[in-house]
Amino acid sequence: MTQMLTVMGARIIEILQLIGGIALFFLRTLRALVPPKYDARETWRAFYKVGVQSYTIVILTAMFTGAIMVIQAGGTIQASRATSFVGWAAGFTVLSEIGPVLIGLMFSGRVGANNTAELGTMVVTEQVDALRTLAIDPMNYLAVPRFIAMIVMLFLLVALGDLFALLGGAITSHVMLDISYSVFVSQVIDAQLLDEYILGLIKGSLFGMSIAIVSCYFGFTVRGGAPGVGRAVNNSVVASAIGILAIDLLVGIIHHAVR
Amino acid sequence: MIVAKGVGKSFGGERILSGVDLTFHEGEVVGIVGPGGVGKSLLMKILCGLVEPDEGEVTVFGRSWADLSVTERAKLRERFGMLFQNYALFDFMTVGENVAFPLVQRGDMSAQDVQERVVERLTQVELSGVNHLYSRELSGGMKKRVALARATIGEAPIIIYDDPTAGLDPVTSSKIFNLISDLQRPDSLSLITSHDIERMMPVCQRYIMLYQGGVYFRGTAQEAKQSQDPVLRVFFGGDAVDVGRRTMAGAEGIS
Repeated sequence: MTQMLTVMGARIIEILQLIGGIALFFLRTLRALVPPKYDARETWRAFYKVGVQSYTIVILTAMFTGAIMVIQAGGTIQASRATSFVGWAAGFTVLSEIGPVLIGLMFSGRVGANNTAELGTMVVTEQVDALRTLAIDPMNYLAVPRFIAMIVMLFLLVALGDLFALLGGAITSHVMLDISYSVFVSQVIDAQLLDEYILGLIKGSLFGMSIAIVSCYFGFTVRGGAPGVGRAVNNSVVASAIGILAIDLLVGIIHHAVR
Repeated sequence: MIVAKGVGKSFGGERILSGVDLTFHEGEVVGIVGPGGVGKSLLMKILCGLVEPDEGEVTVFGRSWADLSVTERAKLRERFGMLFQNYALFDFMTVGENVAFPLVQRGDMSAQDVQERVVERLTQVELSGVNHLYSRELSGGMKKRVALARATIGEAPIIIYDDPTAGLDPVTSSKIFNLISDLQRPDSLSLITSHDIERMMPVCQRYIMLYQGGVYFRGTAQEAKQSQDPVLRVFFGGDAVDVGRRTMAGAEGIS
């Protein structure tokens, strides 16, 4: 019993230390944003890697998501002859909830993991030390560009992904429920889902911020060579996923309270 | 130029360095030697302010690292050039960009001047025409030479070469030491850590030997060779150029 409590206590302290470390890293990143002195080339490279190389996977994820939403609801909708609600149902769930969360999780698995691996490798191969010897602050040079790129690009990717999710939903509705594209589009427009769309975009930016902080933190704190990089990537993906779901819940509660 | 007083450092409960007192002057080329794992690289990182010691202090140009703000530390680090044991070349940059990086970051030269300087330095290290390649496309010896070019292009007053010949064949190692000698300026301080004492000898004026966490010897190669101390004799004698901790511990038994 005592041993179990000791193990649990140690684990709780470890988790609190981790949360504290991530919170401090977040504050250091915000501090590094002012005054703006980040490298333009490195920022551009971050935008390219984070955004341009991610859009295909986001489009695919979004289209499948939209299609699955319609497939899941299809049986019930057909049975209750409520096909006029398909556009609304697909739009509502995709835009405010499923779209940003799934795109965020996909983004964390691809971009976040890659970012942790890249920074971790730079740490173990002394590239980060080399930057510091050249009087360059790794926070300014490496963390800040990634932080900005992930916030901006996840916002844009969610905006793009939402459209493709609706396209996926429209195609599936047409094939499965025989609803024409124009009817589906008019249902989405009539549902007046601008609030949900904006809410989804805000979530996307917050997810981007969370993934950037978590993935950079685990990358910069790598210890123990190549196996350490592997462990850090693993921890980064898990922590990012928890962060995404926690932010989703928090924004949901705030949105519900404000409404 | 650099003064270390009572420097000590531990990792995970293991004491690596203890009570290290050292002074380095302008114009010197000093070899830092000792068995693997004794803390040579750690000492180099402490001297250039990358690692904070647990005890003692290091002053560079009369300024203690401990008393400096983050900005002041960064400013002081501009006076160092460093060649890392694992090359530490930025793998997302080409050879030319890597070598140009210190000058570009300093921002006091035109792009054309930087380019000319890069070409000149790469020619000096016998790597002309590889500007466009990435480090992954180079051999170990070529990477070391690129790292050497990057460490010295800024003409910093203090250059640290951390094991510049690790993992290289004897011919390439000799070439690297020759380049270090060629690139040495009379007003700069160079610190070289290596196990390759034989090839260091023409380059270094004096040596510091670290052993069992502290400074075991300081002096010239000649003094070390003439010493009756069994550890020094094993290390500088030429029979065992690269000795590990166990060998050194064994040497203590030699009467």
